[in-house]
Amino acid sequence: MLIERGYRRVRPLAGGLEAWVDAGYVVEEEEIAS
Amino acid sequence: MSKLIAYVSQYGVALVFGLVLVEQIGIPIPAMPALLVSGALVRAGKLSFLALLGAAVAASVLADTIWYLLGRRYGHRVLKTLCRVSLSPDSCVRQTEGIFEKWGMTSVVLAKFITGFSTVAPPLAGAMGAKLPAFLFYDALGTVMWAGGGILIGFVFHRAIEDVLSFLEGLGTGAFYLLGAALLLFVLFKWWQRRRFYKALRMARITVNELQNLFEKGEKPVVVDVRHEGERRRDPRRIPGAMTMGVSELDAKLPGIPPEVEIVLYCT
Repeated sequence: MLIERGYRRVRPLAGGLEAWVDAGYVVEEEEIAS
Repeated sequence: MSKLIAYVSQYGVALVFGLVLVEQIGIPIPAMPALLVSGALVRAGKLSFLALLGAAVAASVLADTIWYLLGRRYGHRVLKTLCRVSLSPDSCVRQTEGIFEKWGMTSVVLAKFITGFSTVAPPLAGAMGAKLPAFLFYDALGTVMWAGGGILIGFVFHRAIEDVLSFLEGLGTGAFYLLGAALLLFVLFKWWQRRRFYKALRMARITVNELQNLFEKGEKPVVVDVRHEGERRRDPRRIPGAMTMGVSELDAKLPGIPPEVEIVLYCT
């Protein structure tokens, strides 16, 4: 959908958030209003 | 009475049980043709509608309960594994989560009619904390509608199905080769479809190390967390600076992002 709207440089992250965490990179906590 | 019809009449209930079980476990062998043929044999008085329906429900609930319990115990890891082995590439974890969050337990009923989703829905229900009695009720209800519908279609169109069976009977042992070849072609097509999908995905993906390198070089890609709200509540961790953007928010949030910027999307 992003590509259809003109964004050509769109890439999914291989392995998603789990791969990012497993690699030991920094994460932050999101505060979601209930 | 032809040998083929006699064979299906004799083992129809066991055949339906076995094929529904195999399909619900996730092996891409469709049970619907057997349900249709069984329906035609119900019309001919050779099989019992209730026995067939009972076999289909028992097989489906058995396989689905195993998936449900695995989902409950191992959460999204089961879904990721299923998405990897599934021959239906369009049913990814995020899409199925979206359906489940939108429709709740009704999606377990609808799942029976959506290729790929029928195997993913039970572990998803488990992972999302659905209660077992409610799951069993909706799963059985969905199977009754799906299998019952198949048998009824076979019942109504029994003449056409009997013609096909007579044609296959005329082929003798060739019928088994023909059916085997059709099944093999079906599995090969789905496998090729999946390979093509994952190849395209692999070519387009960015690794976590590449993303970290971009950050270290001072480049500022827009990182978008595309998980649904329910999933983000369960795991509120996110990549620093990531924004959230659902499909319904595209029009509101995209104008703030220049088209030349690199966008990295991630889910669980």
